[in-house]
This record gives sequence, C-alpha cells and structure tokens, in this order.
Amino acid sequence: MDKHYCICIGRKFCSGGRNVAALVADKLGVRMYDRDLLKKASQNTGFSEKFFDEADEEKTRKGLRSLFMGHLGSNGLANNYLSNESIFNMQSEAIRHIHEQEDCVFIGRCSDYVLRDSDRLLNVFIAATADDRVARVCRHAGEGMTPSKALSLIEDIDRKRASYYNYFTGRTWGDPANYDICLNSTVLGYEKCADMIVALAKERLGI
Amino acid sequence: MAELKTPQELGTDRIGKLLIRYAIPAMIAMLASSLYNIVDRAFIGHGVGSMALSGLAVTFPLMNLSAALGSMVGVGSGTMISLKLGQKDYDSAQMLLGNSVTLNILIGVIFGILSLVFINPILTLFGATEVTIGYAREYMVIILAGNAFTHLYLGINCILRAAGHPNKAMVATIGTVLLNTFLDYLFIMVFHWGIKGAAIATVISQVLAFAWQCYQLSDKSELIHLKKGTYRLHGNLVRNMLTIGLSPCLMNVAACFVVLLINRGLLKYGSDVAIGAYSIINSIGFMIVMMVMGFNQAMQPIAGYNYGARQMNRVLKVLYLTMFFGTCVTTLGFAIAEFMPGACIRIFTNDAELTAIARNGMQINFLIFPLVGSQMVIGNFFQSIGMPGKSILMSLSRQLLLLIPFLIILPRHYGINGIWYSMPASDILSVILGFSLLIPQVRKLKKLS
Repeated sequence: MDKHYCICIGRKFCSGGRNVAALVADKLGVRMYDRDLLKKASQNTGFSEKFFDEADEEKTRKGLRSLFMGHLGSNGLANNYLSNESIFNMQSEAIRHIHEQEDCVFIGRCSDYVLRDSDRLLNVFIAATADDRVARVCRHAGEGMTPSKALSLIEDIDRKRASYYNYFTGRTWGDPANYDICLNSTVLGYEKCADMIVALAKERLGI
Repeated sequence: MAELKTPQELGTDRIGKLLIRYAIPAMIAMLASSLYNIVDRAFIGHGVGSMALSGLAVTFPLMNLSAALGSMVGVGSGTMISLKLGQKDYDSAQMLLGNSVTLNILIGVIFGILSLVFINPILTLFGATEVTIGYAREYMVIILAGNAFTHLYLGINCILRAAGHPNKAMVATIGTVLLNTFLDYLFIMVFHWGIKGAAIATVISQVLAFAWQCYQLSDKSELIHLKKGTYRLHGNLVRNMLTIGLSPCLMNVAACFVVLLINRGLLKYGSDVAIGAYSIINSIGFMIVMMVMGFNQAMQPIAGYNYGARQMNRVLKVLYLTMFFGTCVTTLGFAIAEFMPGACIRIFTNDAELTAIARNGMQINFLIFPLVGSQMVIGNFFQSIGMPGKSILMSLSRQLLLLIPFLIILPRHYGINGIWYSMPASDILSVILGFSLLIPQVRKLKKLS
C-alpha cells in the first residue's frame, strides 16, 4: 500500500470543481495542488514557468494552425525539450514526486492517469448544469460578458481540456468509467459534494 | 525523449563538445540515407544508361509521396510511443506499435494498388515521355509492389529511435544501404537486369531490414515488442498518430509538388536528359543538405534545453557554432560544385550530353550555397526554441513559397537556365528572410540573459 493517498479531481470548466477541491483539502487537512502550485513544483527541472504555462491543459492549438504547426515542435525526428510532450513528462514527474511526499488533492493535469498505478487513489469528476456554469462565468468575468459569449467560452475550454486529456492519456475525458465518483455541483452544492468525497475517501483510502 | 536521459550535461558541458557528440550519430544516419539515392542513381546511370536515369528521376515525386505517407505514421507513432514510455504506460505503447504496423500495411497496400492502377497517367504527369516511361514503369511497378514493406521498414525505424534504440535504427539504415549497394552491383552489373535490378535490390534490402527489425522487436524481455492482439486498429490511437504525423507529411507532399514542377519545366524548356541531370544535381545537393540537418538535429536538444533553463548565452553560442559548421558544409558543397563538377557527375554518368547539362545546372544551382547553410540552421533554431511557426515559414519559403514563383516566371524568359536560376534566387531571398527573423530574436535573447 502506498504511504500517501491522493484525491484527483477532474472538472468541467466553471463547474465549481476548484471550490469543491479546496473544501475537501481543508476538511482533510492536506494541500491542494492546482496549476500554480504544480508549476512551482515543476521548477526543480530548471525550466522557467513560462513553458509550463504555455503547455498547460487549455492551450492546445486548433484549426489550420494545428494542421501546419500543431506538433511540428516535437516531430519525433529530433529531440526537443520544449515540446508539449516533454513538458507533460516533467509535470508528471512532479505529480509523482508530490504523491510520494504527502497526502494531497490534485486538480486536473491528467493526475488520475499519471498516478493510475497507485492503490490509494480516489478519482472524482465534478460537473454542473450549463445554466449554472454560464452564471458563474458572468459573475466572475464582470462587464462585457454576455450569456452567449460565456457559453461559447465554456464550450471552447471544455473542448481544449478534453483534447489535452485524451491526447496524453488515451482515455476519454469526463467518461464516468474513468472515475470513482461523478458529482453535479448544481444539484448537490459545494459543501455536500465535498462531504461525499471526504466520506468516500475515508472509507476507500484508509484514512 | 528516451535516448536523452541526462539533460544536466546539456546545461553545463562545453557547447562545442556537446554539439560534436550529438552531431556524429545524426550525420551518419543522414549520410546513409542520402547515399542510398546516390548509389541507386550511379548504378543505373553507368549500368543502364542516361535515359534510364531520367526514367528514374520522374518516379521521384511518386516515391516522395509514398515516403510522406510513411513518415506520417512513423513520426506519429514514434512520438506517441516515446510519450507512453515516459509515462511507463507499456500496454499503450505496445498497442501503438501494433496499430502502427497495421496502419502501415493498410496505407502501403492501398497507395501501392492505387498507384499501380494509374501508373501511366501519374508518370506522365510527373514528366515521363515516350522515351523514359518504359524505364520509369519497369522500376516503379516493382517498387510499388513492395510499397507496404517500405512503409513498415521506415515506420519501425522511427519507433526504434523513439523507444530508446537509436543504434538499432542506425544499423538498419546502414545495413539497408550496404545491402542495396551489393545487390545493385549484382543485379545490374553482373546479371544485367537493367533498371528492374535496382528496384528488386531496393525491395529485397528493405524486406530483409524489416525482417531484422521484427526479430529485434520480438524479444519478449523488451519494454515494447510485437505482440498478438495489438494489431486491431483503435480509432483514437490512429487519430492521434495521424494528427501528429500530418505536418511532416504535408511538408513532404509540398516537396513532391516542387519536384513535379521542376521536372515538367525541364521537360518543357529542355529535354528528358535535363530531368536526368536534375536528379544528379539533386542527389549531391541532398547529401550536403542532409549533413547540415545532422548538425541541426544535434543543435535541437542543446538549444532547447538551455533556452528552457534561461541560459541564453549558451543558446546563442550553440546557434553561432551550428551556423558556422553548417556554413562550412555548404561552402564545401559550393566549392565542389563550382570547381570540380565533372568529378561529381562522373559518379553517375559518362554520357557527354548529360554531363554538359548537369555541369551547367550544377554550377548555377549551387551559387548561393555558402549562405544556405545558415538559413537552414536558423529555420531549425526557431523550432528548437519552441517557435514552430517561424521554423515552418523558413523551410516553406526556400523550398516552396519563394521557389514556385521563380520556377513559373524565370523559364519563360531564360529557358532552361531560368529553372536552374530559380533555385539560387529563392535561396538568396530566403537567406534574407532568415536573417531578418533571426536578428530581432537574437536581440531579445541578449536582453533576457
């Protein structure tokens, strides 16, 4: 059995997954790792933050641009330390390293796939209704955001997350079969979601 | 990737030492693949005749197209497999290997059959005439029959490299060249099978290389090996492989289109012999270009790593050093082409007419070559610091965007010399483009350091 447990939380854009993850981490008294923390953790590779940021889950190219230059930076004919693939590998190393050191909650970054061999892992997916997510986007973005713009932003980012996840893991993002539990934060509310995850974690992970 | 396990040295060792150490294996592989062309053409030129050489030349766009499809699968599966190996996800890597084999067979067979069915119109489109089409068809029918093996051999070589066996991939490449040379000699010079002999030699050496690769990959103790149950295609794996492989494939298709334009132009303003002359010039140019590519491949990890680590002085140092080596190589090519073209051409032919055309073409074609070295290095440099857009612009400009207008306009005024002059003309513009992209970038890098 692994020394430390880990809860990996995947989420649709603006479904409140981050809030739920923060509550879970708080209730269990462990740290939560999202983009910023992970970026810092990746830094023992000697690489600057910029590259991790550029290669992150929502930054895939689309359309014609991807046709001509999508993966040419990493065309397999030559080694390139700045390719998305090698940055993904460094990030994975960081995730594994953190998992060896402490109990924690990860948000996204294919952590469920990276840590798939761990026996103290709980995989969670958080979704919410479209109306609820649109309302959240509008609330956070402030002026100039209309519901229709918000909806297309949501669709866009979800699509990018899906293509990032599907590319690197070979699995299907948001497919319930990948997760131990999938929750709808609109129906349950953040607090209830967090309670359910914590209860399941205690039962399953031997906390 | 798998073969580079000690990135620290990239940040600390002496740049010159690193560059040479990374360049030597890359150069050997590059030289081997360009020797393949030279050997084939030399045996056909001397053993069969100068018209056969022209017949061979009109098949190259078709061969390029086939190689483009092969590289699509090879590059895609290689990249995906090295990613999966990095994640220790051996099942998926295995599955990718199996899928890539199936995909190579499928694409290879379909491409082979389609091209065989339409062989006459295709060869005519690529510049074959009544005189040359017989040779071209005789050669191509056999090559196309073995097309699936060509794809398999090239594809698995990409995978061997990606899976941390660059040496095995190199053995396969060099072995194929040596075997092909021996069989070419045997079939053409001893058995007098003509151009057919060269095709049979190519197919046999690739089939044997593929058999050797299969033997290497059948070792069950290896991380990835050929395994039952992995050959059924999976939609998402195929999609991922093909998306990655698409851009290198498009580049190859573009190259094929340019050769087509050149061949047709040479035919219109010159003759069949001119097409043969171009294939001689092209072989020599290709060898020089491949040597620069060897240095480029060596520069990539060094520049990329140090750029990532924000060691800009080292980034600039490796750039300048690679530009220096690249320039040395292309200047050497220039000197040979300008001052002793006869010696090069004699490798391929003794025919007086062919020699005269090739000599003239070669001296024009290589005019700007001393500057081309740095242009190629600059293009690759942008790729290694994570700017594929500029890198693609650079390689498309020299070989396509700037070349095509010249190829269309110049021959109208200067006839066949117009075609030869298009190449140095587009070279010079792309060198200017290269430096105008590079200079602001270097300033930026200096500011960052």
